[in-house]
Amino acid sequence: MRRWTVRAHLAGLVALAAATCARGERAPAAGPAVTDDAGRRVTLAAPARRVVSLLPSFTEILFAIGAGDRLVGRTTWCDYPPTALAVPSVGDGMPPNVEAVAARRPDLVVVYRSGPNVTAAQQLERLGVQTVLFDLNRLEELGSVARRLGVLTGRTAAGDSLARAMDSLASQPPIPGPRSLAFIVWDNPPIVIGAGSFLDRLAGLAGARNVFHDIATPSAQVSIETIAARNPDFIAVLSDTGAPPRYADRPEWRVVPAVRQRRFLLLPGRLFGRPSPRSPEAVRELRRRLASTP
Amino acid sequence: MKYLVLAGAALATLAAALLLGPADLPLSDVPGSAIVWQLRLPRALLAFLVGGALGVAGTSLQALVRNPLADPFLLGLSGGAGLGAVAAIALHLPGPWALPLAAFVGAVGAMALVYRLGLVGGAELDPRILLLGGVAVGALAGAITTAIVSLAEATELRNAFLWLWGGFSGASWTTVLVMLAYAPLPLGVLVAAARPLDLLALGEEPAQYLGADVRRLKRVVYLAASLLTAAAVAVAGVIGFVGLVVPHVCRLLWGRLHRTLLPTAFLTGGVLLTAADTLARTVVAPRELPVGIVTALLGVPVFAFLLRRWTVS
Repeated sequence: MRRWTVRAHLAGLVALAAATCARGERAPAAGPAVTDDAGRRVTLAAPARRVVSLLPSFTEILFAIGAGDRLVGRTTWCDYPPTALAVPSVGDGMPPNVEAVAARRPDLVVVYRSGPNVTAAQQLERLGVQTVLFDLNRLEELGSVARRLGVLTGRTAAGDSLARAMDSLASQPPIPGPRSLAFIVWDNPPIVIGAGSFLDRLAGLAGARNVFHDIATPSAQVSIETIAARNPDFIAVLSDTGAPPRYADRPEWRVVPAVRQRRFLLLPGRLFGRPSPRSPEAVRELRRRLASTP
Repeated sequence: MKYLVLAGAALATLAAALLLGPADLPLSDVPGSAIVWQLRLPRALLAFLVGGALGVAGTSLQALVRNPLADPFLLGLSGGAGLGAVAAIALHLPGPWALPLAAFVGAVGAMALVYRLGLVGGAELDPRILLLGGVAVGALAGAITTAIVSLAEATELRNAFLWLWGGFSGASWTTVLVMLAYAPLPLGVLVAAARPLDLLALGEEPAQYLGADVRRLKRVVYLAASLLTAAAVAVAGVIGFVGLVVPHVCRLLWGRLHRTLLPTAFLTGGVLLTAADTLARTVVAPRELPVGIVTALLGVPVFAFLLRRWTVS
């Protein structure tokens, strides 16, 4: 009984000290600390040496800032850079398999902030595993994630440098261009990409106008008629196979002129499907394809 | 009189479906526009056919199992169709028709299983076992579907559920012709069973005494209604509510005789679903609402009003 009280007292003191450090931020002995997107202060004793990344974008950022060798776990979707495939997978991460993650004995788990993931992060914390929760849906969020991952892995300079490059891309105004496109992510019912999305921003930077820029949500269900009426020059499709979408030959879709003329931009999902350090490359690639298609 | 009213309503909804849409077409352009001929017209016709089919299937199944909660999708068909659709995507079946065909096969498979379960007690199709078997087969199919979705690696699998929630985005002249060629046979079978279905409402034994071949009637009605629903699922996904509420609305308004009930349920279902789809396309343009939401939003208040009037009187 007595031992418990002492322990609780000690724990209280430690918590108090940590809180003071966090607030004052001038205790030189403390390790790296950041505020994550759930508003939590994440403080490590030392730069993370065993990291599990639960989102392909995080994995790419970690490799880009030279912290790839710290990675001890990734998701099945983390396929870039190719060296990432040598890291053991902990499953698809949706939601994370808490036991598989903990079994990698990580000192930091980087988690994408979403409902089920927040619960998984709490479970990991209860097991004594440090977690950090980041939003990463938009181009604008890349820089701040890179900066904070740099701090947490002791690669501050590399993180800052990547963050500056990403912030500079994100702060560029969209280039007005003559070409227009629609991103169609599913055909029945038709789902298109609206403003407030990563892909809409990429299109703008590549000089193409997303005809559904007036829809404020990242994606929305529309009718084929609306797509036909908006009449985009191109239909952009995320595709890893490079084959035209299966609705290309369906009669109802042929009312859309770009479908009838088979003006598809088949964009590899590995490059275009997520915000990543390669986003400048994605912008260049899209610009190149727009220019090379008459 | 009622047929005149329903025919007028049908024409008005079809006209509205042709004239209204997210693309602003001047009235003079309507006759020559590809948007009207290739998109709005087939879509309106398909919505009408599917609504009518669901109305008739729901009416017959409610009479068959003598349960007011019976719905064409209750007997495991939606689960089977979902499993077929998800399997088609997970196995990367090629071709534009893979998904609807697989959904149809899944629905018919579930129907066959439920039918077999309904016969376990002997040669008689037991309505109570049909209901229970439908729920059980639906749950099994749902579990397998979820297992495929969580284990397979295809990212587009999640979208299979969008398709399954139903809608007429896939409408084309081909789907209209498929329905036009397919639906008359089961519809005809059900309409021909109108009089025995009236007798069945008295109970199985009295119906038998009054000359109905109850055993055969139950089998034929179950198969025809399920095959009708399976076709509706294949071209439009699972659209709830129409098959449940339209039969009740028609019974409240026009009585319980199936000779009237089946044709009025066809027309009412068609009108409701065409009107709902037109609203789904236009009210939040440029976006679109899933049609099932609109059928419920339109149908529930009407249903509640009728129910209240009926219980008061």
